[in-house]
Amino acid sequence: MNFLHMTESNFSLKKIEISVSEAEKRTGRNAMNMQETYTAYLIETRSVEHSDGQSVLTDSLWRRYSEFELLRNYLLVYYPHIVVPPLPEKRAEFVWHKLSADNMDPDFVERRRIGLENFLLRLASHPILCRDKIFYLFLTQEGNWKETVNETGFQLKADSRLKALNATFRVKNPDKRFIELKHYSDELQSVISHLLRVRARVADRLYGVYKVHGNYGRVFSEWSAIEKEMGDGLQSAGHHMDVYASSIDDILEDEEHYADQLKEYLFYAEALRAVCRKHELMQYDLEMAAQDLASKKQQCEELATGTVRTFSLKGMTTKLFGQETPEQREARIKMLEEQIKEGEQQLKSKNLEGREFVKNAWADIERFKEQKNHDLKEALISYAVMQISMCKKGIQVWTNAKECFSKM
Amino acid sequence: MSGGPPKALPSTGPQSLRDMPHPLAGSSSEEAVGGDSTPSPDLLTARSFGDKDLILPNGGTPAGTASPASSSSLLNRLQLDDDVDGETRDLFVTVDDPKKHVCTMETYITYRITTKSTRVEFDLPEYSVRRRYQDFDWLRNKLEESQPTHLIPPLPEKFVVKGVVDRFSEEFVETRRKALDKFLKRITDHPVLSFNEHFNVFLTAKDLNAHKKQGMALLTRVGESVKHVAGGYKLRSRPLEFAAIGEYLDTFALKLGTIDRIAQRIIKEEIEYLVELREYGPVYSTWSALEGELAEPLEGVSACIGSCSAALEELTDDTTEDFLPVLREYILYSDSMKSVLKKRDHVQAEYEAKLEAVALRKEERPKVPADVEKCQDRMECFNADLKADMERWQNNKRQDFRQLLMGMADKNIQYYEKCLMAWESIIPLLQEKQEAK
Repeated sequence: MNFLHMTESNFSLKKIEISVSEAEKRTGRNAMNMQETYTAYLIETRSVEHSDGQSVLTDSLWRRYSEFELLRNYLLVYYPHIVVPPLPEKRAEFVWHKLSADNMDPDFVERRRIGLENFLLRLASHPILCRDKIFYLFLTQEGNWKETVNETGFQLKADSRLKALNATFRVKNPDKRFIELKHYSDELQSVISHLLRVRARVADRLYGVYKVHGNYGRVFSEWSAIEKEMGDGLQSAGHHMDVYASSIDDILEDEEHYADQLKEYLFYAEALRAVCRKHELMQYDLEMAAQDLASKKQQCEELATGTVRTFSLKGMTTKLFGQETPEQREARIKMLEEQIKEGEQQLKSKNLEGREFVKNAWADIERFKEQKNHDLKEALISYAVMQISMCKKGIQVWTNAKECFSKM
Repeated sequence: MSGGPPKALPSTGPQSLRDMPHPLAGSSSEEAVGGDSTPSPDLLTARSFGDKDLILPNGGTPAGTASPASSSSLLNRLQLDDDVDGETRDLFVTVDDPKKHVCTMETYITYRITTKSTRVEFDLPEYSVRRRYQDFDWLRNKLEESQPTHLIPPLPEKFVVKGVVDRFSEEFVETRRKALDKFLKRITDHPVLSFNEHFNVFLTAKDLNAHKKQGMALLTRVGESVKHVAGGYKLRSRPLEFAAIGEYLDTFALKLGTIDRIAQRIIKEEIEYLVELREYGPVYSTWSALEGELAEPLEGVSACIGSCSAALEELTDDTTEDFLPVLREYILYSDSMKSVLKKRDHVQAEYEAKLEAVALRKEERPKVPADVEKCQDRMECFNADLKADMERWQNNKRQDFRQLLMGMADKNIQYYEKCLMAWESIIPLLQEKQEAK
C-alpha cells in the first residue's frame, strides 16, 4: 500500500490509501449507440487518521480502462518533462498457450486490476503528479470527470506526431544525455520484448514437461494392478507423479506476476522516449527560432549597409522592378528591428524554457532511474525466490516418489 | 544361508548334473544317454517320487513347491537361497574396456570380458578375453538351443538404424557395454545356465571363431529335437499358473511399452524446454550490458539459467542412456519368455497327445511306454525349470525396477538440487546493493 499526502490547501494533511478493489462486467451503449461489453473497476480511496491509524472510506467510484487512458494522455500533455507511469497493456500480449488472449478472461481482468492499481499508486507516490487536480478528481468525482478533462483543452495542446518526428530528424544540437537516454530506451524496449517472448515460450515448454509426467501416474496405477509386492509402491509413486504434474499451474501463475513487472518497465521505455521527444521538439524549436533571428539580423544589416548578401524576396523584386525608396527601406528596417527585438525576447524565453525543461526532466529521470533499479532488483529477487520454491517442491515430490519406489 | 549342508551342493551339484542326463540333451556325445549313468541316490528317489505326483489329467503341477522330478529344479530351489548370500559366489564376470577395431572389411567394437572363478570347470582362476556383439549373439543362440527350458536373458538390440544412431559414439557404446555386462551377470547368477559349456567357452576360449565352427554340428541336433516338438500338437488346457504368467507378461510388456513412450515424450519436452532456456539466459546478459547498477544482478540471473540448462541436459542424457535401455531390455525379456512359454505348451501338448494315443490302445496298459515316459519327463522338467526361472525372474525384476525407478527419482532430485543451489547462491548477490543503499 502506498501513501500519499494531500497537501492541497483545502485539505488537511492526511494519509490516503488507494486501491482498485473490484472488477465488474458491464454492458452499455457506446458513442455510436451500439451495445458493448466492458469491464469497470472499483476505485476506493481511504484516508487514514494519524492518531489511531484507522482508515475511513472517503471515496469510491467505478472507472473503465478508457478513462484511465484519458487521465494518462492528459498527464502526458501537461507534464512533458515527467516520465509518466504507464498503464497495463490494453490487449494481452506475450501469451503462452495456457494464457488467454481474451480481454474478458477472468485471469486477464484480474491481472489488469492489479496493473491499474499499481498505476494509481505510482501516480500517488510521484512528488509532482500526486498534486494534479485532474488526478484528484479522477479519484473523487464520478460524474462529469470526462467533461472536466476535455474542457482543459489538452488535446489541442498536444504536440502533433508529425511535428515531433520532424524535429527528431532535424534537430542539430540536442543535449547529449537525451540522445543517450533515447538510445537506452530503444534498447531497453527491444531487450525486454525479447525477454518476455522467450519467457512465454519457456513457460509453455515447462508446462509440457510437468504435464507429461502425469501420464506416469496413470500407467503406474495400471501396472500396480498386476503386481503383488511391487503394487503398493508403484501405486503411491504414481500419486506423487500426479501431484508433480498439477503443481505447475500455480508455479506459472506466480511467474506471470514477474512478467507483469517486466512489462511495466517495457512500457516505461516508451514514457522515457516521450520525454526525449519533447526535448528534441523544444530544442528544434529553439534552433529554428535562433536561425530565424539570425537571418532577420542579417537582412537588417544588409539593408542598412546596402550590401545584399542574403537572398530576400524584397531584394529580388527591387532588382526586377527597381530600387525602393529610402522611406520604404527605412520602414522595412524598422519592421525588421521590431521583429528582431521580439525574436530576441522569444529566444530568451525559449532558452529559459528549454533549460528549465532539461533541468526538471533530468531530475525526474534520475528519480525514475532509482525507482527502476530498485523495482527491477526486487523483481529479480522475487523471481529467484519463485525458482527456489519450484526446486524445493520438485525435490519434495521426487523424494516422496523415491521412497515409494524403495518400498517396491 | 551359509555353512553346513548347502555348502556341499555347489561342488557336487555341477558334477552330478554333468553326469545326469539332461532331459533334452538327447544324443550329445558329451552327455550320458538315457539312464545308463548312475545318478546320485537322492536325485533318483526324488525322480520316482515326482512321477506319481505329476500324472494329472490336465498336466498341472502342484502349486507352490517346484516339482522335485527335475534335478535342475532341485538345484534351483536350493541354490536360490545361495544366490542371496554373496559369500558362496564362485564366479565373477565383468564386461568393460570397449575398443574400436578398424579393419579393411569392417569396423567394430570389442569388449574385454574378465572372468574370475574357483569352479573346477575353469582351468585357470582368471581369464581375460575380447568379444564383440556377434559373439554375444552366438552365445545367446547357443544357450537357447541347449537350454530351451530356461529363460535366457535378452541382449541389447542387434540392429541400429544407421544415420540415426552413431554406433561408435561414446554414449551408445557405454549403454551397450552396460547391457552386455548385465546379460553376462544374469547368466552368471543362474544356477544352470552358468554351468553351460558354451558359456564356459565364451568366457575362456582364445579363439572363439574356431570354436564356433567346431561345435556347430553337434549342437544343431539338440536344436532340432526342440524344433520338432513345436509342430502339430494342440494343447488341451494350460495349467493355471502358466496361463497366469502368460497373461501377466502380456500386460507387463504393454505397460512397459507405455512407460517407454512416456519417457521418450518427457525427453522430447525437456529438450524443447532446454532449447528455449538456451535462448532465455543470454537475453539477461544482453540486458545487463545496457545497465549500470543492474548489470551484476542481471548477469547473475543469466548465469543461473545457464547452470540450470546444463543440469537439465545431464538429466535428459541420463534418462536416455540409463533409463530407456533397461525398459527396453525388459520388454525383450518378456518377449523371449513368451516364446519359452510357447515351447512349454508344445511339450505339454506332445505329451498329452501321446498319452491319449496310449490310452486308446487299451492293450498297452498298465505299463506306460518309454517314449511317453520320456515326454512326461520332458514336460515336467520344463515346467519345473520354467517355474524356478520365473520366480528368479520375478525377484530380479522387482530388484531391477526398484533400482531403475529409484535411480530415475534420484536423477530428478539431483537436477533440482543443482538448480536450487544456483538460485540460492544468487540471492545474496541480488540483495547486496540494496542494503548498501
